[in-house]
Amino acid sequence: MIYLKIEDNRGFFLKDKNSPEDWTELDKIEKDDLMKLLDYATEEEFDMDEYNEETLGNKAHQIIYKNLYEKFHNFLSNKNRFKDETDNIFKEELEKYQ
Amino acid sequence: MKKIDFHIHTVKSISDRPFEFSLESLKEYVEKLSLDCIAITNHNLFDREQFEEINRELEIKVFPGIEIDLEGGHILLISENENLRDFEDKCNRVKGLIPSKDDSIDYDQLIEIFPALNNYLLIPHYDKKPNIKPLTLDKLGENIFSGEVTSLRKFKTCIKEEDKLTPVIFSDCRMVEGIENFPTRQTYLDVEESSLNAIKGCLYDKTKVFLSENDGNDFFQATDDGIMLSTALNVIIGGRSSGKTYTLDKICENFENVKYIRQFSLLQNDKENFKKLVTTRHSLITENYLKDFKDVVMEVNEIDLKSNEIELEKYLKTLKKFALENDNLDTFSKCSLYNETQFETDNLENIKKLISSTKTLLENTEYKSIIDKHVTEDGLKNLIVELIIKHNELYTNNLKKSWVNGVIDQIKDGLRFRSTTTAIEPVDFQKIQREKLKVRKFETLVDNLKIEKIIDSKDIRGFKVLAKTKKYTGASQLKAKSRRQLAFSEAYNNYDKPYKYLISLQNVGIEETEFYKYFVDIDYRTLNKHGFEVSGGERSEFNLLHEINDAIKHDLLLIDEPESSFDNIFLKGEVNELIKEISKEIPVIVVTHSSTIGGSINPNHIVYTQKLVDSGKVEYQVFFGHPTSKVLKSVDGVEIKNFDILLNCLEAGEEAYIQRKTRSYDILKD
Repeated sequence: MIYLKIEDNRGFFLKDKNSPEDWTELDKIEKDDLMKLLDYATEEEFDMDEYNEETLGNKAHQIIYKNLYEKFHNFLSNKNRFKDETDNIFKEELEKYQ
Repeated sequence: MKKIDFHIHTVKSISDRPFEFSLESLKEYVEKLSLDCIAITNHNLFDREQFEEINRELEIKVFPGIEIDLEGGHILLISENENLRDFEDKCNRVKGLIPSKDDSIDYDQLIEIFPALNNYLLIPHYDKKPNIKPLTLDKLGENIFSGEVTSLRKFKTCIKEEDKLTPVIFSDCRMVEGIENFPTRQTYLDVEESSLNAIKGCLYDKTKVFLSENDGNDFFQATDDGIMLSTALNVIIGGRSSGKTYTLDKICENFENVKYIRQFSLLQNDKENFKKLVTTRHSLITENYLKDFKDVVMEVNEIDLKSNEIELEKYLKTLKKFALENDNLDTFSKCSLYNETQFETDNLENIKKLISSTKTLLENTEYKSIIDKHVTEDGLKNLIVELIIKHNELYTNNLKKSWVNGVIDQIKDGLRFRSTTTAIEPVDFQKIQREKLKVRKFETLVDNLKIEKIIDSKDIRGFKVLAKTKKYTGASQLKAKSRRQLAFSEAYNNYDKPYKYLISLQNVGIEETEFYKYFVDIDYRTLNKHGFEVSGGERSEFNLLHEINDAIKHDLLLIDEPESSFDNIFLKGEVNELIKEISKEIPVIVVTHSSTIGGSINPNHIVYTQKLVDSGKVEYQVFFGHPTSKVLKSVDGVEIKNFDILLNCLEAGEEAYIQRKTRSYDILKD
């Protein structure tokens, strides 16, 4: 599922995966949205439109999009290791105190 | 038969507490305990002049000796009473090598000083601290055939077990002025003459070493006034104020590691106190159960979600601001490195684990055939090589990334210092997300922990102790747990939100290492044989059984009038049985008036104490003997009828006994 997209020279993000039609402009993004996006990136198939200055004309959006894109790209490229690592958090303890 | 004590201190050394030697006390000790031979063994020194004085003043054989700190343990080295100057020279060399109480000499130094070890008698601390290490014993080889132990139980064990040294028990006493109770820790040897060689010959043979003069190893001297007791079960009887408790106290003073159950000490009328007692006794169960949870709490306590949120907020705010200022960037902020992010280095833990696991598979010989069935050795070798190459590649990359990160940081700092444009604050998505997930798992863990369940169940002679997890139901319980005047009400408001609760515990004033105790309580319930919570009387009974059971960790068990707190049925059933069991392991001495105990327990030995008042002068007398003997005897040979004593002490006299039996009980019979 796509969570970051470029359209009409502006960047958008998906606030809620249950409302896939409801896109919000990137300059409106708040910390809670970012938290939620991080959850999606951890738990879901997380896709983004590639950063492209030609299709993303808005200068401010360019900066925000590029920055977020790079950060999520970095996060996703280590997703397997991150998942292995977090799956093991308190695993034995959870079994012990079940 | 010779009675010996080869471990006596007469000079204060660096290893001793201060004391002033009294020759008079030593003389009295030798006389009162009827000793035949003694050895003077001070820590790492030999005082020849003092020894010669002792030797002149005592009429028994005195051996010169020294207690040496050898490779971290203690050993007695005893010489024949001759060539004292030579022995003094040698001991002075030992003294010179041990300047402080933490020093010791090694085996080679010992051999250098005492080249002919076989001329001496060597007795290491064997089952006694600080004991000579097994490795040192090996080095000493055939020079060692006897070892010092501390208790009757250890003595008997050494006698029974073939591969153990011949045991000896000595007083290890400091002879000071005004000793009220002299120690009774000595050993009897079946030897004719009092020469060192004869004694050594005797110590080679376990069958010639005893705890008592006439009764082998089944009896021992319990007090310096000659009371002999069985190493199994003893019962002390006597009228009120006849010196029973006094005798018990005296025995207690004379031995180490004694379990003494005093009269009335086990009554448990208070339910809460009893609960506390049981909880303390089982604190190890609580600790073990919560051990892993404690580590989790410590780990989560380091997480600050609030600050993560602020970090994210700052990042977004500066990112947006920088984006808006885009048209007015200066020379510095236009540089790409102005807002460059850092490389994240790879965590190599997993690949290291894989390499180590493959290595285990490759090196294992025990299960090689099974491993070979499923994976070829070549395959494993190729795997480990590839993993190592990958590891090295990642490791090199990490080094490069760290280097680049350093450069980026430096340049960024330089650019930002000169620029007026907003700089985007750094943020670590991985860390933020990892910590968020950690907190979520922690909350699940705490929820699981709070579900009531039995975590331990122990059966103790008809009673059952159940350990159960239980949620705290109010701030007062938390306060009670802390045993301090702290306010928990604010924290307790968050009790159902584990992470928030943990954060609020930070403001209560308890140690971080104690936080884990406040999430769930472990409740101990003691149930009787019908599965109900114990009553007041049962609580005391449970206590007594627990204490007697616990005695097995001690060297001697003393019980003073158990009937004062317990009923006959309980005493006859559970208690007598348990006491008999324990007395197979350690000497047990029970003071009683009760026929239920005195009469039914079948002791191995009986002691009768009596107070005589003659013209205002009070005298205590003690008689002892086998329970089936017609007479009991005192130390000085006075005899008394056993039958009369038993009826008087346990049944309120013969007349009362017959009356009870014929007029009361027989009439009531069907």
